[in-house]
Amino acid sequence: MATREELSEFLAGVERRAFKQAMFAVRDESHALDIVQEAMMKIAEKYGDRPAAELPLIFTRILQNATHDFFRRTKVRSTWVTLFSALGSDDDPDADPLETLEAAGDTRAESSEAAYGREQIVAIIEEEVARLPARQREAFLLRYWEDLDTAETAAAMGCSEGSVKTHCSRATHALAKALKERGISL
Amino acid sequence: MNDDEFGFRIRQALNEGAERLDYKTVLRLEKARAAALARQRHAGPETVRLPAFQAATAGGPAEPGGGRRWLFGAAWVTPILALTIGFVAIGQWQNDREIARLAALDFAVLLDDGPLETYADRGFGVMLQAERPTTR
Repeated sequence: MATREELSEFLAGVERRAFKQAMFAVRDESHALDIVQEAMMKIAEKYGDRPAAELPLIFTRILQNATHDFFRRTKVRSTWVTLFSALGSDDDPDADPLETLEAAGDTRAESSEAAYGREQIVAIIEEEVARLPARQREAFLLRYWEDLDTAETAAAMGCSEGSVKTHCSRATHALAKALKERGISL
Repeated sequence: MNDDEFGFRIRQALNEGAERLDYKTVLRLEKARAAALARQRHAGPETVRLPAFQAATAGGPAEPGGGRRWLFGAAWVTPILALTIGFVAIGQWQNDREIARLAALDFAVLLDDGPLETYADRGFGVMLQAERPTTR
């Protein structure tokens, strides 16, 4: 059984990644935070007595379901709300890149041109990841960011291992192509 | 560069992005974590779990213990079903009542058992006139 410290450590380790994943999916900070909070509550309330080793996979599933539930609820409420939240994404053409620089500047000692360039690259990568089709993005992030193996990813996504491989491969190629078009080579 | 290598580089970039979250977001995540920990479930004397009811989680991967979703579904459907049955029953009852009322009226007319005022009533006469072609 996971102790309070183990659960706390686990949540502290995954919360930022979970938030980013939810952001990629819903493209709204407030909704993404709600989804992560819901997932955290659920894992603590319902699976808090599970062994610490089981928590990562359970949390991944809960987060996926919470995200799907969000879309289901949004769809039921109204279609234009979805449109509205999509308009509130980071794709704002009037967005000032200097704002990103200022916000990030507080947390990093590095403040040179190189750091700014790197931040821009990270932002572009995040943007392109967010643009991937939902299933491809889920598979790619679970596989390469959450470090799950193919079988675990398949279990978390509720599909076959073959589908996971296909989604990952397509996501990788689409991402590589999109980044290349934007002048980024990794 | 193969897929794994590419994935690793993207992962590094994503980690960097995740580390750069703004203070407000980090604070809210911390609060959410604290609230979740306050509600952590502790193992009681009974820790045996029933297997998840997979079919109930269509549309998303199954969580362990997902059988409760089925119960939520049932909780929705049961009152709606009861309400529908209730409406049908009320409709049927009202229909029977109307038929019985009309039958009693017909009997009263046939047996000349109705009050005299009935025949003096203009509405009653109009009704009889209107029904005549269809009753023959």
